[in-house]
Amino acid sequence: MPGGDRDNAKTTIMRKPRGWGVLSLCLLTVIVLALPGVLKSSFAIDILIRILLFAFIGVAWNLMGGYAKQLSLGHAAYFGLGAYTSTLMQVDFGISPWIGMFAGGVVAMLASLPIGWLCFRLRGPYFTIATIATAQVLMLIFLKFRDFAWGAEGTTIPNLGNAPLMMQFEAKAAYYYIALALLAIGLAITYRIERSRMGYYLVAIGENEDAAEAVGVNAPRIKRDIYMLSAFLTALAGTFYTQYIYFIDPATAFNFNISIEAALVSIVGGIGTLWGPVIGTVLLETTSALLQSWLGSSSGGIQLTVYSLILMAMILWRPTGIMGFLFEIYGRHIRAEPARA
Amino acid sequence: MVETLAQAVINGLLIGGIYALVSIGVTLIFGVVKIVNFAQGEFVMIGMYISFFLATRFGIDPVISLVVSMPVLFVVGVLIQHFLIQRVLGLNDMPQIFLTFALSLLIVNLSLMLFTANYRTVHTWYSDEAFHIAGLYIPLAKLIAFILAMVLSGVLWVFLHTTDLGKAMRAASQNRDVAMLMGINTNRVFCVALGVALALAGAAGSLLMPFYPAYPMVGQVFVLMAFVAVVLGTLGNIIGALAASLMMGVAESLGVQFVGADSGLIVVFLMLLLTLAVRPSGLAGGRPR
Repeated sequence: MPGGDRDNAKTTIMRKPRGWGVLSLCLLTVIVLALPGVLKSSFAIDILIRILLFAFIGVAWNLMGGYAKQLSLGHAAYFGLGAYTSTLMQVDFGISPWIGMFAGGVVAMLASLPIGWLCFRLRGPYFTIATIATAQVLMLIFLKFRDFAWGAEGTTIPNLGNAPLMMQFEAKAAYYYIALALLAIGLAITYRIERSRMGYYLVAIGENEDAAEAVGVNAPRIKRDIYMLSAFLTALAGTFYTQYIYFIDPATAFNFNISIEAALVSIVGGIGTLWGPVIGTVLLETTSALLQSWLGSSSGGIQLTVYSLILMAMILWRPTGIMGFLFEIYGRHIRAEPARA
Repeated sequence: MVETLAQAVINGLLIGGIYALVSIGVTLIFGVVKIVNFAQGEFVMIGMYISFFLATRFGIDPVISLVVSMPVLFVVGVLIQHFLIQRVLGLNDMPQIFLTFALSLLIVNLSLMLFTANYRTVHTWYSDEAFHIAGLYIPLAKLIAFILAMVLSGVLWVFLHTTDLGKAMRAASQNRDVAMLMGINTNRVFCVALGVALALAGAAGSLLMPFYPAYPMVGQVFVLMAFVAVVLGTLGNIIGALAASLMMGVAESLGVQFVGADSGLIVVFLMLLLTLAVRPSGLAGGRPR
């Protein structure tokens, strides 16, 4: 079974000499920090920002969907709530999106309580269907109540020029570094959780919830907590995205494609792994950028067609994602030697 | 008032017949193969486009083109079961959920590329015809669709209860392992289940064509309705799915009539969430592993 392979591989990775991991991480950090200085094309920076943003959303999804295997397709709900909270605070009260961002996170956390209460009563495909419905209901509510938040037309964010305190910058590189910081925070949180008691609880729930409960894991509480954290992080991404594109409406803020992409990048990269969502996003977003430059943006549907083909291929041949594949190769080459000795 | 109410109920029942064809398919697949088919609505869409092209290219009446769309989708269903779903059976939730989900994404976006997002309609001689009985308005196209939907559901019921293959399917849905031990070829049964379910979705598409526009995302409406109906009617239960579909049609139509024309979808979603909140035992508890 693929699950067994991955577990073996995981223990190998942990036994790996620490030095190499730290060194490659440092190298990666230097490259990633230097990239906006090297790349002058604004198209390239745009793509990099998209990669960082969706990798971050994927990381947030992966905490719940990957480790605890609660396969949500409704994370657009929190993305949209984050986006709307900060925008409402900014447009109606002039409060900085930096504060609005965290307010949005808190709103998303609070919203995840009733939504989680409802959805966690279900398992498997029914959980997934219910999460889709909650995000869609929120979108319909924001479409319908136009007095509260501009309805279907949405609104543009007042452009203040270069105003760092209002999360508005003239240089695209600034957005790049914010997205990078978000991703770094997401990865750090995942890293800590992966190695904590919580992380083991999550994996236990993901493997077999009934068995986990039987040995004393408080599954409902753990699932509630991780859902709150996941919702909080997703909402931060929502605020950032709205500030980046200077526009908000229910169709972009609660777009189903956000929910899809969050799950997709994690599955393609490898669910329940630290770097899986990042690798998945790099692969998918690069593919989509190449497609766009080859075919032009006019051909509607091509991006998701290719995404769904990649997803199907992954599910059929590599259900553990790219990370699982890498672990397998790594395990085959490194483990073979001590086993023979 | 009473007339408006009766009219809304009739409208709901008529469209509910189409919902029934879709949700019987979903419940059949779930009952027999234990997979939730997220792509079921997309096969309704394919059925619609088959009828659309047969009508515009060859002038074949959409309802008659049922005899093409049903066999075509039956074959598609068998192929999908044999080459795709078969490979993820016995794995965990992730591949099972995301395989049919990916299939749905693929079909929708391929159709977007091939057919564009434009609405396609077929106008038949009976598209505008209607009966007026006691102040009530009954459109002929919807009546034909409803009657044929009920006939097809009846044929399926008879098939499941009288033929060997049908009985084997019911046995497999009650207890797959025991059915296998009794010598039932489950792989064949699964293929037939997928084929029949997709053929019903194709029939729904053909029947819709005289009064409903075809576009790549059209399946979403029907698959969501089907999920609610399947849940309400207890999973795997065909009569339950049928009754629940008719109920859903009526509920939606009452929502549109008394809450507002754009509230159809919100009514559906709220009913779905309400159902899940009030009756989760029918799903989570009753989900055999």
